Amino acid sequence: MKILFSLSLFREYIANYLKTKLTYRADFWVEVASDLLFSAMNLIFIFVVFQHTPSLGDWSEAEVVFVYGYFMIPYGLFSTFSNLWNFGERYIIKGEMDRILTRPAGSLTQVMLENVDPPSLIGSLVGIGIMATSWWKMGLTFEWYDPLALLALVLGSTLVYMGIYTAIAALSFYSDAPTGITPLIYNIQNYGRYPVQIYNKTIRFLLTWLLPFAFVGVYPASFFLEDHHDPLMAWLTPAAGLIVGAIGLAVWTHGVKRYRGAGS
Amino acid sequence: MVSAYFDFVRIRFLTMLAYRINYYSGIVIYCINIGAYYFMWRAIYGDAETLGGFTVAQMTTYIAVSWMARAFYFNNLDREISNEIRDGSVAVQMMRPISYLLVKMMQGFGEGAFRMLLLMVPGMIVATLLFPVTLPTDPMRWFVFFIMLWFSFLINTQLNLLTGLFAFFVENNEGLMRMKRVLIDLLSGVLLPLTFFPGWARTILEWLPFQAITYLPSSVFTGRLNGVEVWNALYVQMIWFLALIVPILLMWRSARKRLFVQGG
Amino acid sequence: MLAIDVHQLRKQFKVQKNRVGVKGALLDLFKREHTLVTAVKDISFQIPQGEICGYIGENGAGKSTTIKMLTGILVPTSGDIRVNGFVPHKEREAFVKEIGVVFGQRSQLWWDIGVIESFRLLRKVYRVGESDFNRRLDELVETLDLSELLNRPVRKLSLGQRMRCELVAALLHQPSILFLDEPTIGLDIMVKTQIRDFLQKINRELGTTILLTTHDLQDIDALCSRVIMLDDGHIIYDGGLDELKDRWSKGREIVFQFTDAVSLERVRSLTDGLDVRWTVENEWTAKVWIPREMNVSDVLARVVSSAEISDIKILETNTDEIVREIYRTGSSDAGEALRG
Repeated sequence: MKILFSLSLFREYIANYLKTKLTYRADFWVEVASDLLFSAMNLIFIFVVFQHTPSLGDWSEAEVVFVYGYFMIPYGLFSTFSNLWNFGERYIIKGEMDRILTRPAGSLTQVMLENVDPPSLIGSLVGIGIMATSWWKMGLTFEWYDPLALLALVLGSTLVYMGIYTAIAALSFYSDAPTGITPLIYNIQNYGRYPVQIYNKTIRFLLTWLLPFAFVGVYPASFFLEDHHDPLMAWLTPAAGLIVGAIGLAVWTHGVKRYRGAGS
Repeated sequence: MVSAYFDFVRIRFLTMLAYRINYYSGIVIYCINIGAYYFMWRAIYGDAETLGGFTVAQMTTYIAVSWMARAFYFNNLDREISNEIRDGSVAVQMMRPISYLLVKMMQGFGEGAFRMLLLMVPGMIVATLLFPVTLPTDPMRWFVFFIMLWFSFLINTQLNLLTGLFAFFVENNEGLMRMKRVLIDLLSGVLLPLTFFPGWARTILEWLPFQAITYLPSSVFTGRLNGVEVWNALYVQMIWFLALIVPILLMWRSARKRLFVQGG
Repeated sequence: MLAIDVHQLRKQFKVQKNRVGVKGALLDLFKREHTLVTAVKDISFQIPQGEICGYIGENGAGKSTTIKMLTGILVPTSGDIRVNGFVPHKEREAFVKEIGVVFGQRSQLWWDIGVIESFRLLRKVYRVGESDFNRRLDELVETLDLSELLNRPVRKLSLGQRMRCELVAALLHQPSILFLDEPTIGLDIMVKTQIRDFLQKINRELGTTILLTTHDLQDIDALCSRVIMLDDGHIIYDGGLDELKDRWSKGREIVFQFTDAVSLERVRSLTDGLDVRWTVENEWTAKVWIPREMNVSDVLARVVSSAEISDIKILETNTDEIVREIYRTGSSDAGEALRG
């Protein structure tokens, strides 16, 4: 019931988003371009590096690009639905959280919907394209269940991202200036999209168990790779998604409680 | 008069101190970045002795010093300026008997000074302990490096002023600011020394101001540039600094015209 | 039935202390100090359904904090609240469906799209039926004269236009209680009057209970039968507006414009035996202060009978002055005086 209600709200918010964007059509494309430029930068990095070396650890260029392509899919989904970068500034400092709390819908649902950002979905599409190209280049076999597996893995990865960033956004409820944390996590996140096997143990541990960004890249992608096939880590992805998502939600709920001054 | 400007440095310095989480996370971010790139580069090098003219040892030092330099020159003046333009407070600031652009620059410097003393210096010490970084022994090289670092700050800030001032002329320069940030990270040499780029790209990059921000000072620091090359690098920075004053002033002039003649 | 029922309501905040100077800021990096601030100090009041109540007080008196607790945004430190029979902070989502909130300083409308789109979205959020919505919208749009603005984006509206739209947004789901935080701030007199008339109308026709905070005491004069005055977290007055004026206004003043030059002795002699106070403003003008219990006409009769007058002006102490006086003389004395 609650989910259905949220979904019906989602449709309305998207409609409003589109109406807004139709008034600023140029911005839409600039935003898409700058999003893609960021991915392009990372791909350029990969391409330039592979001009000087045949492999990164024991990962070939096509494999690294494949992992990157996978990463772009959940990342695009995440950016579309949990565009919470400005949460602290807009909702806490400028006080819009008060308005959210005077409305009969879940607070996180409302905040996510108000900031929905469909241009990011284009990144997901490009990611699918990149994955498909490297798939074909490496001559990987294609099984009937691959699309289903991809769907489950992508959902898991998206939840990992959403959980982490919801928790980060919720930090605004606890501190007046938690802005430094977001760039910190953002930087760490960047390393999950390369094969974590090239890092030392500490960073690998961090990216797998503490801030599990490796589940938004190399682990799930390895499900499809013949040379690095790792079904155990791959299938931990949906589990990781559920756990991290639950943690994010819990931190948010607790944060809202605190914001409202309940028992702190 | 001059002391008024220095007050802006001081106030920004104090403001930065107030945001303590930013400070802690800043050090961690930069160490993580250095660490991640260190391991990635080690994987990239594999068994190779030198790549792009850099030995492994030089590369490590290059990464460490480039990220630390970035801590000093990086600022968000473009965002600040465009916010002030969009909410209209720039008009009030322009009424004051001091130069708006210089004030912004001073604020950026306050931020940079804060990061240099409390982030770059301790961060560099930590990085030297964690990774095989070799510091130059020649005091002259240190001296020249700090002068070049100052120019890095100036040139990067000039580019920020330019991007920020664009808000006068377009309704939304968000995309432009994002692109600028990506371009500076990719093309200034923080991610990749310029020597890694293919020949044609390098030729283009040598005619752009970005290399003056990171690649040149870091190359001097790591000992990749020697003798007369050092002075040439410094000249390139100075030329860019002077050259960039022209578009800034032109933009500023037409921005003022726009603001006062058309009333915003 | 009571619309709002508040008992011993208290709210405390922990506030970060910032130490001074570079040294202080460096110390703050490692250890923060906090102080406990009590914004609302054990207040109690009841508002019956259908009342328009003004909630006034200086900045920082605790008005907004109270409103936030009444609307379920903040959870009280202690005390009981019942609004519409709900405990606001406990059953937030069910509770807020029955109330409307307008924060004068903040918009609940989407900035870039037509106002009507925001209304439609709010319809979904509050789950208002299509036909109910249309009927209600038509009514509101007509009374507030908004039909031409509906398709305009909010950023292109003037403050007065936006404020009227905010009211519509807060009333679309037909709430039984309306909370208004500074609804007329920054508006010109025409819009203010329009909004006041509108609020009176919905209160009269739909029985909507209204609680409003304001700095503009004309709002109070025009709308409220009841005033709650807050100072430093305490209620220092709760009662009718007339009563407030009666108790607190110390008297009236009459300004006389004489045709001939007058002196202080001359005017004093006019009202010999009456307990009044004269001041001479200039050669022809003098002002007399009359205590509340004395009849104005007595004084007027005496003066007019023995001097040539070209103009008379009677000054009634207005709410503004009363309130200023209360704050000026110190809240505790005033509180005593008012309660006593």
